[in-house]
Amino acid sequence: MSFDKIRDPRKIRHQIGDMECDYIYTAGVAGERFYIALRDEEKLLATRCEKCNITFMPPRLYCDNCFTELASFMEVPSKGVIESYTITYFDRDGQALPEPEILAFVKIDKTDGGLIHRIGEIKPESLKIGSKVTAVFEAKKERKGALTDIKYFKPA
Amino acid sequence: MTVAIIGIGCTSFNSVTAEVSFKEQMFEAAVKAYADAGVNAREDIGSFLTAAEDYWEGYSIFDEFVPDQLGAVLRSVCTIGGDGLLALANGTMQIETGLFDVVAIEAHSKASDMLTFDGILTHALDPVYNRAFNVHPYFIAGLEMQRYLHETKTTREQCAAVVVKNKRNAMDNPLAAFPADMTVDEVINSTMVSHPLTQRDISPLADGMIVIVLASEKKAKELSDHPIWIKGLGWCSDTPWLEARDWGAAGYTNLARDRAYKRADIKNPRKEFDFAEVDDYFSYKELQHLEALQLCEPGKAGKLAEAGEFNRDGAFPVNVSGGRLGAGNLLEGSALQSVLECVYQLRGHAGKRQIKNAKTALAQSWRGVPTASGCVAVLSNEN
Ligand SMILES: [Zn+2]
Repeated sequence: MSFDKIRDPRKIRHQIGDMECDYIYTAGVAGERFYIALRDEEKLLATRCEKCNITFMPPRLYCDNCFTELASFMEVPSKGVIESYTITYFDRDGQALPEPEILAFVKIDKTDGGLIHRIGEIKPESLKIGSKVTAVFEAKKERKGALTDIKYFKPA
Repeated sequence: MTVAIIGIGCTSFNSVTAEVSFKEQMFEAAVKAYADAGVNAREDIGSFLTAAEDYWEGYSIFDEFVPDQLGAVLRSVCTIGGDGLLALANGTMQIETGLFDVVAIEAHSKASDMLTFDGILTHALDPVYNRAFNVHPYFIAGLEMQRYLHETKTTREQCAAVVVKNKRNAMDNPLAAFPADMTVDEVINSTMVSHPLTQRDISPLADGMIVIVLASEKKAKELSDHPIWIKGLGWCSDTPWLEARDWGAAGYTNLARDRAYKRADIKNPRKEFDFAEVDDYFSYKELQHLEALQLCEPGKAGKLAEAGEFNRDGAFPVNVSGGRLGAGNLLEGSALQSVLECVYQLRGHAGKRQIKNAKTALAQSWRGVPTASGCVAVLSNEN
């Protein structure tokens, strides 16, 4: 709407800039316990609110329903059910992946939550909502205390 | 409620706008809105609100980059970290407190300035649990869509019908960035992004700025020949945890809907609204949102969309503007694009796409993946 406008695209000027943003993200008390148990014991830890009958996976230090603090951690099975899945073709920068990735939300047994993870040892056409899957752990010396200490979930 | 929209102004929406800065674009939208409202920015407007998000803009503390181009230097200004409807809600409340008679709100997108949209979106994922895999964050939409199709027996074709409708609607919206005469097959056979979500199921990013002027009842009657009244408002956020969500439905809409409908005394939404502008960031989202807004029975939106029910000439027109899919994804600005269309229609200024005798309209927003936040507004040309 300006009185004058640039009409020659060759004259359009830009300043290229980047925001370099590096952070450390604190896993927190609950995240720390979860990842150490995963790395050292191949265990999934959850927290539970008895009052609301909710088991939190991943574990949290508070119940978001009644807003009270949760103090005790419990082990839950490292298996569950595919609640939804997708076959994804692009990486985080929007470039095509060399191989598509199968990701799912796995509802972990005996909890009200779950994990978003890869599904392996399966053909895409065999994927089904409701299928039972179980965690396959990375070799112990390769584990880093991260979500990838589980390699993927495979059909149970 | 006692607040009305008395002025609207915007730029056209475009895939790139390299020749103008975001400040110049915002200035254009503001000048148009203030002229439409018949107000002087420096004398009549008490407060200014912008809906913005630093990462979309590429500025730290973006709030500070707002005042000059809106006529808001040395005035009351604040930025809302949410979509445009949340700015509308907060502007309305500022007037209802009695602090101000006239408030200007703004929301926008300068998406073409972002060279790394995908990377920025990845940074919206939880770093401790959701960033382990090198996949595009639209995988979340793939998971949502798969679950929604599974639960409701909606088909990919029915989702594609939404894309076809909205892009066709955009052909009669001179502001729209992505009008097209597309077929269901073209949508379904487009590049697979995250099965079952294809490239054409996703709204393409566009640049555009929208400014809206709000006024108290007294001021609105004094200044405007066609005030559009804000009858009801609501907003809501579900848990941010992907691991704790309902993957098949848009749960964040429920409380926003209940609050807005209650305030506006809406008992039978399908009968009482003449049309709706709802969020369609992804094709299936329009269907989920129509169901959450109780504009059709749960699980039935896809069938109805396929049958033409939500077409411009259908029984209940939805996204006559073209929505995000047709007008362009304006990020936090799309929520105000919905309001803009409601105002055009309720004033009777929508030209070729005018819905006859439109009196009451619904605008609904969602902030896109990975968020679970959205707003609802009820608008009417009758006080
Ligand atoms: Zn509780």
